[in-house]
Amino acid sequence: MFEIGYAESGEILCSGRLDAAQSATAEAFLGGLDASRTLDFRRLEYISSAGLAILLKTQKRLSGNGAALRIINVNKHIYDVFRYSGFNAIFEIETL
Amino acid sequence: MAEQSFKRSIESVAEIYRYSEDIMAASAVDESVRFPVHLAMEELFVNLVNYNPGARREILIGVELANNGVVVTITDFDAAEFDVTRERPVDTGASLRERAPGGLGLLLIQHMVDTLEYDYRDGRSRIRFSKEPETTDV
Repeated sequence: MFEIGYAESGEILCSGRLDAAQSATAEAFLGGLDASRTLDFRRLEYISSAGLAILLKTQKRLSGNGAALRIINVNKHIYDVFRYSGFNAIFEIETL
Repeated sequence: MAEQSFKRSIESVAEIYRYSEDIMAASAVDESVRFPVHLAMEELFVNLVNYNPGARREILIGVELANNGVVVTITDFDAAEFDVTRERPVDTGASLRERAPGGLGLLLIQHMVDTLEYDYRDGRSRIRFSKEPETTDV
């Protein structure tokens, strides 16, 4: 199960497991962004390469407008995934 | 070893997660094992489904507990040969503009599991990987 939506703070809250079966949900939401946003991963337990592909696609598209995604509250395992992928160099990331 | 067959569909990913999580949770397998095991299982299964769309037979997954860790065997009886242990370089230091989505699944597996083996014979592909708990030096 994966959920994505705006928190009252204006940040985008992601929760659950962002796997290959759920990546279309993430893509539908993130595809609607046209300005810089913060993704809050405090409730995101898991991400696979399918989720990484959506994040990269969104970051590339936003960068064309001078905008970017920032990701906060990343757990250790997800940060490892970002680090091995080199995503820690193309996203601003804050760990839990 | 517990074994179960799964339909060749991306939708099976959730079922595979529940299957392996139930086994690992019942034996209190450490979280440092569970996350990499789930990730490797998903990436390998999705590769088999995506890169061999004409295949029909279900994919067999076995999970075995060993040395406080887990050994997973994934067998595809209707497979094209694809050696998952071969290095496929990804430039992880490339700039955002140069990066293209894709190609990260095997890279992640190779970083996150302890052993990874591949065997292909007469259309049967067998992948076996293991993961033990992380140890902290004192």
